Amino acid sequence: MRLRETGLVAARELRDAMRSRWFLVAAACFLVLSLGLSMLGLAGAQRSGLAGFDRTTASLLNLALLFVPMVTLSLGGLGIAGDLEDGSLAMLLAQPITRLEAYAGKYLGLLAAVSASVLIGFGATGVIVAVSAGGGNAAAFAALVGLTLLLAATTLSLGTVLSVGLRSRARVIGAACAAWLLLVYASDLGTIGLTIARRLDPGQVFVLALLNPVQQARVLGTLALSPRLEVLGPVGVFGLDQFGMAGLSAVLVAVLAVTAVGAVATGYAMFRRMAVT
Amino acid sequence: MIVATDLSLVLDDTVILDHVSFTVARGESVALVGPNGSGKTSVLRCLLGLVPFTGRAVIHGHDVVREPVAARSLVAYVPQRAAFGDARAEEVLSFVARLRRIERTRIPAVLRAVGLEGHHDQPVRTFSGGMQQRLSLAVALLADTPVLFLDEPSASLDRDGQQMFFDVVAGLRRRGHTLLLASHRPEEVERLTDRVLHLDCGRIDLAAAPERVARVIPLRGERR
Repeated sequence: MRLRETGLVAARELRDAMRSRWFLVAAACFLVLSLGLSMLGLAGAQRSGLAGFDRTTASLLNLALLFVPMVTLSLGGLGIAGDLEDGSLAMLLAQPITRLEAYAGKYLGLLAAVSASVLIGFGATGVIVAVSAGGGNAAAFAALVGLTLLLAATTLSLGTVLSVGLRSRARVIGAACAAWLLLVYASDLGTIGLTIARRLDPGQVFVLALLNPVQQARVLGTLALSPRLEVLGPVGVFGLDQFGMAGLSAVLVAVLAVTAVGAVATGYAMFRRMAVT
Repeated sequence: MIVATDLSLVLDDTVILDHVSFTVARGESVALVGPNGSGKTSVLRCLLGLVPFTGRAVIHGHDVVREPVAARSLVAYVPQRAAFGDARAEEVLSFVARLRRIERTRIPAVLRAVGLEGHHDQPVRTFSGGMQQRLSLAVALLADTPVLFLDEPSASLDRDGQQMFFDVVAGLRRRGHTLLLASHRPEEVERLTDRVLHLDCGRIDLAAAPERVARVIPLRGERR
């Protein structure tokens, strides 16, 4: 794979994404929601103003777990399917580049756009919170930003697999919505149901949770914020008991990264043989 | 030289091309004609490596499957339906110039050649079908490759656009470019090509001079 050609495709994808409305909307939503959550964090304490990093990080974790998969699944889904439908993918692949360069360039360009949107939204919140309220665990906030980017890479790659597999905007949007519901809500319910019905032991529940990148990110984010047992839940407690704090964090980061790379590779294996008509 | 040997293409269990073989000599201009669904566009897609086919396709000595970059670096493609995402006209050309390592100083000249010099900073999505087709031709001219694949290239063009297209392609022929043109238009085929391959149901059923094919088979006709 030639880096120059891949970079040219990525730069074009990033430029197109930043020009589109979704980028502005996503960045604005991150910014407004994260600032809003930070303000609301103090409502219970009967004070007005901004919460410190601890409260902001806790609020943003839930926001990131809901919002990031929604944006990235649909964005990744529309990437290749949209270009295939409007004919611009054929124009691109008629140029002297390999399919790997085109695929990697498109993925990296979209990832750069999503990352920019996350960094603008969360970064601005971090600066404002630090200046206005200060205090708290800034390292946990930074870890949350890193975790959000890793989750974005993972769910973007899952969206890309949907895009290559389904080949049409309409099908991809439907599948992306279903995948989001599955990752964010249904998988939790499924895990609970299976645990009760099959009387799963904590180890089995831990393995089940590892299948869902959103659940991995949830435990990882909670670990960074507060590794107390009552906050972590049974999956986190089991992981902490088995691997320790550093070991569990490393396992979860590795599983998220492997999921991202595995999905990107699966998408490419399909894209390489795809008929561009 | 373009050498296609036993090209077969099956998509969704439908036979699109059935053992199609032909050659196009260097500097020759050949038309692919036939009714809708006969496989004209699919032949071009095979030669560009856009679809998984069986058989062999070689462009100036480079196998399009084994050496896709080398083969496509020799080819410019003007598709039936041009699309360029969210870019502006000049950005499209700039991207192709960078990808093909061509001087970007040539961009104004090719925009002028296709009559788009006043639209370089305009988003391509706002272009009419004819303007997008002109831009597509500008991309091909910028690449200045020895081989051109043209798929219904003048379908969306107005009268002036068609004249511009005929002039540009005639110039390319004079300069020795190899052309493979998929078309429905008898006038286009007769004026721009040396030889015609007639396709029907994914097979070549006639190869002849343009005048003869025009007499034998009405080029505008729809078979199905």
